[in-house]
Amino acid sequence: MKNWIIGGLLAAIGITAAFLAVGSPYENEYGWRGPYDYRYARHREDVVPVQSAAYQEECGSCHFAYQPGLLPVASWQRIMDGLANHFGENAELDKETAGELRAYLVANAADRVGTGRSPGIANSLRGSAPLRITETTYFRRHHHEIPARMVKDNPEIGSFSRCDACHTGAAQGNYDEHGVRIPGYGHWED
Amino acid sequence: MKTSALLTALLLGAASTGLLAADVNDVQGHYRAQGAGPFQSERGKSLWNSRPYEGRQCADCHGPDLTRSGQHQRTKKTIEPMAHSVNASRYTDLKEVEKWFTRNCKSTWNRECTAQEKGDLLEYLKQL
Amino acid sequence: MPTDSKVVRTWDLMIRLFHWTLVAAFFTAYFVEDDWMSLHVLAGYSVLGLLLFRIVWGLIGTRHARFTNFVCSPAKTLAYLKDAIAFRARRYLGHNPAGGAMVIAMLFSLSATTVTGLALYGYAEFSGPLAGQMGSTPEWLGSSLEDVHEFLANFTVLLVLLHIAGVVLASLQHRENLVHSMFTGIKQKELS
Repeated sequence: MKNWIIGGLLAAIGITAAFLAVGSPYENEYGWRGPYDYRYARHREDVVPVQSAAYQEECGSCHFAYQPGLLPVASWQRIMDGLANHFGENAELDKETAGELRAYLVANAADRVGTGRSPGIANSLRGSAPLRITETTYFRRHHHEIPARMVKDNPEIGSFSRCDACHTGAAQGNYDEHGVRIPGYGHWED
Repeated sequence: MKTSALLTALLLGAASTGLLAADVNDVQGHYRAQGAGPFQSERGKSLWNSRPYEGRQCADCHGPDLTRSGQHQRTKKTIEPMAHSVNASRYTDLKEVEKWFTRNCKSTWNRECTAQEKGDLLEYLKQL
Repeated sequence: MPTDSKVVRTWDLMIRLFHWTLVAAFFTAYFVEDDWMSLHVLAGYSVLGLLLFRIVWGLIGTRHARFTNFVCSPAKTLAYLKDAIAFRARRYLGHNPAGGAMVIAMLFSLSATTVTGLALYGYAEFSGPLAGQMGSTPEWLGSSLEDVHEFLANFTVLLVLLHIAGVVLASLQHRENLVHSMFTGIKQKELS
């Protein structure tokens, strides 16, 4: 009988410790899941963060600096070829800087990187090379549940292209759903 | 005497290569060197407020009050104030100034700005 | 083990290794979720492999591992459950009828969970062996996959809780440590 009590207590302690270490699959209203909250998880692997200071500076000055692992080589080439008309704006650069950025993007594109979501993104395109991340099938399948009022018609956001408006870990390459806070609506329950 | 002369030479040399932070006058000097000038604030102001075709106006992104931040219409990115009195560091790097002139003149007026126009605009902005 | 021994090896090493590895693999996948996709998927593949092993072992393995040893009719299973609740069930050396039913239920639930997981991995992440097929799945079908996969995982957890309850109940009733037996493989031949 004593063995059962000891065993039971050990099991209870063990399970509690495991929960504290790993975190509950369910969140409270503040989105905290224990020490395994996405902010603490070391193994963040969604997309490799931006590692080029030039890219961060030049391409992050008007909008969020989209990680190169979000689009394939062909898409980045199209974008760099068309900087004079970059989604309705002129985003021209001097030749040297443009060359440096192109090389960085091509080397780290979705179909060049083997980690995180990049291979899946590359696969989803089957050769097509859209200019917009929001047009990839991968993106659409992950955002199909979000109603227009939360993003497009939300005055604080306006467009799905503003990743970092909701994905609080976007700058670190982390797009985990648990890090989503939609302005005006709060935490997103998947 | 020798050391101060050497120092001045060094400073001028550094300034001309952009290593030491230049100021808006140096940038205007660059346009004067291309044959433009003299620069007038009034011409700059009317350029700033012009809308030559149904494109954009500077104030669309930079806002009506240049001592305050503006916002990019689509990306909602904050744009630091343009007024020299509030944000002089904006005008210290010639390369940066040229980059934004190239982009924004083309985006807004569908053409490059001339050296004269750039100088006039800077003359207007440095008074604010 | 000599035939005049008071104990008998009921659970062979493969069955025991399989059981505890499955516990580790399933709960790893369950708690990690898709926050750590590569680990979650690895755990899921492990579960799939373990299931395949168990099915084969259930056909050609040791006596108490074989399905023929413990799969009973629903009537017999229900009768056993009634007796168990009344604390008067007969003691079985291998799986009792309820335990046998749990094996089958778990096999189905875990299989369904892993298969829907594979489908979801193909649909949402365009990865894994089903990526090609799931690429052209219509959204109305694919979008429900996540809910189905989650439901099945939670259902498996429910089965686990029932399984633990059953093990505790049987252990108390027959005064034997069934968990200990699952580690050592050894049970008393007869209870005093």
